[in-house]
Amino acid sequence: MSTAAAVRPARLSLTDTVRVGASGLSARPLRSLLSALGIAIGIAAVTSVLGISASSQAALIAQLDSLGTNLLQVQAGQTFGGSTSSLPLTAEPMISRIAPVQVESSVATVSANAYRTHYIPSGETNGIQVKAAKTNLLQTLAGSMSEGSFLTSATENYPVVVLGDVAAQRLGFDHWIPNSLVDIGGQEYVVAGIMSPMPLAPDIDRSALMGYPQATKAFGMSSAPTTVYVRTSPDQVDAVGGVLPATVNPPNPNEVTVSQPSDALSARIAANDAFNSLFLGLGAVALLVGGVGIANVMVISVLERRSEIGLRRALGATKGNVRNQFLAESLLLAGAGGVAGVALGIIITLIYATTRNVQLVVPVSAVAGGIAISLLLGGIAGLYPAIRAARLSPTDALRSV
Amino acid sequence: MTAVVTSVQPDAPSDAVMELVGVRKTYPGPVEVLHGIDLTIGRGELLSIVGPSGSGKSTMLHLMGTLDLPTTGSVLIDGVDVATLSDRQLSSFRARTLGFVFQQFYLIDGVSAVDNVANGLLYSGVALGKRRSAAVAALKRVGLGHRLYSPPAKLSGGERQRVAIARALIARPAIVLADEPTGSLDTQTGQEVLSLLRELNGDGTTVIVITHDPAVAKAMDRQVTIRDGLIVSDVARTLEVAR
Ligand SMILES: Nc1ncnc2c1ncn2[C@@H]1O[C@H](COP(=O)(O)OP(=O)(O)O)[C@@H](O)[C@H]1O
Ligand SMILES: [Mg+2]
Repeated sequence: MSTAAAVRPARLSLTDTVRVGASGLSARPLRSLLSALGIAIGIAAVTSVLGISASSQAALIAQLDSLGTNLLQVQAGQTFGGSTSSLPLTAEPMISRIAPVQVESSVATVSANAYRTHYIPSGETNGIQVKAAKTNLLQTLAGSMSEGSFLTSATENYPVVVLGDVAAQRLGFDHWIPNSLVDIGGQEYVVAGIMSPMPLAPDIDRSALMGYPQATKAFGMSSAPTTVYVRTSPDQVDAVGGVLPATVNPPNPNEVTVSQPSDALSARIAANDAFNSLFLGLGAVALLVGGVGIANVMVISVLERRSEIGLRRALGATKGNVRNQFLAESLLLAGAGGVAGVALGIIITLIYATTRNVQLVVPVSAVAGGIAISLLLGGIAGLYPAIRAARLSPTDALRSV
Repeated sequence: MTAVVTSVQPDAPSDAVMELVGVRKTYPGPVEVLHGIDLTIGRGELLSIVGPSGSGKSTMLHLMGTLDLPTTGSVLIDGVDVATLSDRQLSSFRARTLGFVFQQFYLIDGVSAVDNVANGLLYSGVALGKRRSAAVAALKRVGLGHRLYSPPAKLSGGERQRVAIARALIARPAIVLADEPTGSLDTQTGQEVLSLLRELNGDGTTVIVITHDPAVAKAMDRQVTIRDGLIVSDVARTLEVAR
């Protein structure tokens, strides 16, 4: 072999470097497994937190989408005395005249209580409110009936009520029974149906609703609404919200409160985020511990394998080859931990999604980020031991037995 | 078979494969371990460096193997002063020109005999398939064709050293350096290992065996005796073999 050829260094291919690193790990399988575990746990925590949060958020967002964020709720503000007042009689016709308003509906509080029978002592109202409602309330709130039917232009004239989900339970209706009766203000009302829960109007869940004509007939109630629900075109929500107070009560716009019920749902999505940061923080700590664990194992590995390092140098490994070998080991350890962690995280999310009956959503960023972070940690953890291994003089490495 | 022994420095072979010129080595301490070594080794020689423990033999092997550089003086391999080469060039030099055999074998645990031997070609940029087939051939050559896939832990001492020899010869190096290759073996297996090295030399490879054992040294064609870091004798034995 000519000298010129002998001194031209050959490059170790990437696959060979990876193979050498992998053989170092497979020679110590238990240790490799344990040292990858820390990273795996950290990544599993991060992935499952992000996955669970994304899945539940996707469910909330889907709910929000189906309920719509274009619902506005108009109420009379509190008077100085603290009692809620009614809105002016003209409120609804005025609101309907705002161009972007698609549909509006209202309820009015009826000063009466609902009981399962008139034998129930009058104090035990169970927090159930009696309200008059427009027949288009269900449609406006994007609600649905669990059983039976909502008020119609026919039934709104008679002693007929529709119960909110909570109200039905509190009145003892596990299931709707046709022609069952409740007692309101000493008169029997036929229960026409039970509504499904309405996330956008929780107070409707706790109400018994009758028609406006019946409320006027039985309780002498004026038809002034206490709450008006307004659907606007989605891009005009803020504009409509801005003009509503002055439209509803021109002389005293500040006595009108306008709110967007979907804000409560949006707030739940945001609250989720705050909760997540806690778990992500814990995941980060686990990752840090995992990274330190790998660094520790790599330092020990370099100390133990001095003679292997010396041998490889004798076989022609350059300093760079030795450094890359240990770096590859560390990256493989951390990468395997990362992949296992992502898989575990997806399984945990899948279990959550299945039990909560929501769609499985695993953000790509969590998967890619999880693996990228583990590789980064592996690189950092392995760098110092790898450089130490590379700096070891071949003779020192061979003498230490 | 008659052995003609001359006790003079043999004529410097015109085709020197390895030259040590005024080599001194000082370790931190400072302790000077080699006090000026001049040695010329011709291509294809079968040579032993013999001396008591601590006399500086391993240090010499490390210098001849480019694993370390002399403090003063120079080591020339194929006429190239190794001090002029970079780490990468020296590594390449070791990968292609030098083969090592150590007393402790230095086989990698958990890696089969074939893969241990194949490592001898790893750093020369040979592809895996070729490395493996060359390793199989090398193992067959040292008589371990039946032990190809055994891990080192399942091999006897003599078998381990034969794996190490296969690893040293797989890259067809010009020079094989063996540091106490029989040091961990009983006499019988030691003899087998020595005849393997002798066979290797028969193929044209320069073989340098370092030993503290005069019996091992005598089995070589030329014996360089070293004591306290100095060469005290250099004896060539010319063999006249009736063929
Ligand atoms: N790295 C080192 N630092 C200091 N002294 C060393 C080192 N390596 C070897 N020595 C010393 O050099 C001397 C020769 O060692 P060595 O070359 O291993 O001898 P041999 O192989 O003939 O037994 C010994 O006294 C040993 O202690
Ligand atoms: Mg020695």
